[in-house]
Amino acid sequence: MNTQRVERALQVADHVSTWAGKACAWLILILMFTVCIEVFKRYILNAPTAWIFDATNMMYGTLFMMCGAYTLSQDAHVRGDFLYSSMRPRTQATLDLILYVMFFIPGILALIYAGTDYAAYSWRIDEHSNVTSNGPAVYPFKTVIPVAGILVMLQGLAEIVRCVVCLKTGDWPARLKDAEEIDVVEQQLANSQYVDEESRRRAVESVHQIDESAHQRLKGGQT
Amino acid sequence: MSDPALGLLMLSLIVVVIMLGFPTAFTLMGLGMFFGFIAFHQPGQSWSDNRVFDLMVERTFGAMNNDTLISIPLFVLMGYVMERGALVDKMFYSIQLAFRRVPASLAVATLIVCTFWGIASGLVGAVVVLMGVIAFNPMLKAGYNVKLASGVITAGGTLGILIPPSVMIIVYAAVAGQSVVKLYASAMFPGFFLSFLYLVYIVGWALIDPKIAPKLSEAETKVPVSDWVRKLQAAYSPNMPRALVSAVFSPAKALAIEADGKRITYGMLWSNLVAVLFPLALSAITLWGIWWYVVVHQTNEARANTGAPRIERAATPENAPQSAAPAADAETPQALGAESSQTGTAEASDESQGPQEVGDVNLRGLGEAAPAEAGPPDQFYYWFWGIVAATAVVLAWYYWRMEAELFELLKLLTSSVMPLGILTIVVLAVILFGITTATESAAVGAAGAFLLAIHARSLTWQRVKESVFLTAKTTAMVCWLFVGSALFSGVFAILGGQQLVEKWVLSLNMSPIGFMVLSQAIIFVLGWPLEWTEIIVIFVPIFLPLLKHFNIDPILWGTLVFVNLQAAFLSPPVAMSAFYLKGVAPKHVTLNQIFAGMMPYMVIVIVCMIFMYLWPGMTLWLPNYLYGGG
Repeated sequence: MNTQRVERALQVADHVSTWAGKACAWLILILMFTVCIEVFKRYILNAPTAWIFDATNMMYGTLFMMCGAYTLSQDAHVRGDFLYSSMRPRTQATLDLILYVMFFIPGILALIYAGTDYAAYSWRIDEHSNVTSNGPAVYPFKTVIPVAGILVMLQGLAEIVRCVVCLKTGDWPARLKDAEEIDVVEQQLANSQYVDEESRRRAVESVHQIDESAHQRLKGGQT
Repeated sequence: MSDPALGLLMLSLIVVVIMLGFPTAFTLMGLGMFFGFIAFHQPGQSWSDNRVFDLMVERTFGAMNNDTLISIPLFVLMGYVMERGALVDKMFYSIQLAFRRVPASLAVATLIVCTFWGIASGLVGAVVVLMGVIAFNPMLKAGYNVKLASGVITAGGTLGILIPPSVMIIVYAAVAGQSVVKLYASAMFPGFFLSFLYLVYIVGWALIDPKIAPKLSEAETKVPVSDWVRKLQAAYSPNMPRALVSAVFSPAKALAIEADGKRITYGMLWSNLVAVLFPLALSAITLWGIWWYVVVHQTNEARANTGAPRIERAATPENAPQSAAPAADAETPQALGAESSQTGTAEASDESQGPQEVGDVNLRGLGEAAPAEAGPPDQFYYWFWGIVAATAVVLAWYYWRMEAELFELLKLLTSSVMPLGILTIVVLAVILFGITTATESAAVGAAGAFLLAIHARSLTWQRVKESVFLTAKTTAMVCWLFVGSALFSGVFAILGGQQLVEKWVLSLNMSPIGFMVLSQAIIFVLGWPLEWTEIIVIFVPIFLPLLKHFNIDPILWGTLVFVNLQAAFLSPPVAMSAFYLKGVAPKHVTLNQIFAGMMPYMVIVIVCMIFMYLWPGMTLWLPNYLYGGG
């Protein structure tokens, strides 16, 4: 197996998921503005809009479904990591590999299969929302299910390859760099006026390591 | 194997597989798929016609169409933008100065900042690390007891998941089919009560044993006073409000003042005067808001119910500008008064005075006009005017004593704490008073958070991008988990596992208290290895149907779960926040010291739960008052 080629393939999969996820992530801003405008229209102008309920639901549903693969590519789906994070990478990879094949693949295949049927039926009957009369079309929204399923499946296959690589080399292949929750520490400290230079530098340098070791709490938190 | 036995097998398998560390959402989907396939399997039927596929896609679509979950991304976005926009270390510095005369002032300030920040964000790790840098080292330097210092940070850091607007509460609402607003209302008092108990503990300990929290030296608690303030005082009066007012009216002397190479401008005088009036405006608006809600709004609603629906409708559009006012230009109570007079309904025509002058006229007018059964009880009036009088006295005393130091302190506080505080209060008030839905106020809150960040000049394109992407990841994490568990719990119910559990629990012949204690104990133990998302989404639904048998209010029970998880996240040796704190702490602080510091807080949380159980009014009074019983 050519390692470079494998790395390339992994990167391509990561990029596809990330791109699709990030593109749909912007829906949150549109959702925010839509609801704000609607609040203004309904409560101040007293002129509510009929299709807003459907539109906001669709934005939210598309947002989270399409970001599933992106989240997976960043390993940000919640895990019961109590035992897991204290294991050696090879053990982690073995477990993950088994469970991906046992649970992930059948589950997501079923989602794609069922979702395709579901969406196809909706297209056939030209389904429109019945929340309001003359509701907007629902079939594009239902199509999101199989599309998101396929993306998640692709990313899942990439994760399986990751497990195999890890089993061979003993280390997890790198992931794409992305915004992390703990980054806020760095940003807050960059603005700070009252924290001394020394402790600021130390915290910013070690913050990711702290995050990691806090998750490996069974090891007793040695840093 | 019989179906219910399969159900139990499924339940025990899920616990095992979660502990193996596979992403929980997919574990749930896979297990649900397998067992559902078996459950729905009929001999002779082709595998592709199995009805589990229908169940799966319907559950998925249900999560995509869930109008409770839709507020999650909006609240999450608000949190991420706020925590990037707020200036935490400035907040800590100014609050610590404000409380400099209180025993253990640094610890008190830490707790208050944590409470405030908890409102903004629900992330335990980031709060603990950040407070560890900003507050822990100063506390140790000042000679604070290590246990006190570490306990307050770890306990304060976990408050965020409890205090509304918290994502955990939305998820519980979606799982339990309860209303988000009611749950918010019920978590309000316990959340603040808990942080109040922490406060009592810290201050009490520091009073009994002052050695644990030595006072800071004079130099460290000195409020920096700018040059121009001193000169202004010398020119007019040592009392800052008086000096500013007279400077605004006779600016000749003030405009001649030169400090740090700059001249004082007239606009500067005005903006400082506005800052000085801030506490007055804030108390006036708050009191007026209470008055409006209890007297005007409810009377209108009662009338609307008895055959005058137009008034209520007329009152609704009025709500928005009034409650938006504190955020937009809270410095100008005059504008608010004008607004209320313009939008005043026919009923409240005698309510056109400014908020400060909501005087006796108003009281008599409305008191007589309101039908006896609709108006608030007489007691309310005594209390209300008592509080108004007390506030007036405190404010008068405050302004009387306001010299340079207090003035600078006030300015520090208004610039660091107020924006965040006002935004959260407005968002919560708008939800709680039922003016808008949770989704709408979440969206407005998120937009407000952006405005705040722009105002604080801390918004960059980079941060907008980060907040958006983080929001996307968090939302996807929670909602995919929800998709998985929707399938899982559907299959679990079809297999009859739920019934089996119910039968078993009922056969134990437990009293409601027994059940309450048992269920909370189980959740407490689950809280050690698991995150709150998994507990709420997977395990809470198993208990929910049982609550009815025992006549337990799901709202009370849910609020107890929220508080309970606090205790679980504070219990050694598994509490993650201890490890975060250890990461930023100096080398000599050991993990055991941090654990020892956390222990008392865990006990306090449990005490708080006992209070909540013995006195359900604390939890249920607000939701019942705002939305009626039941």
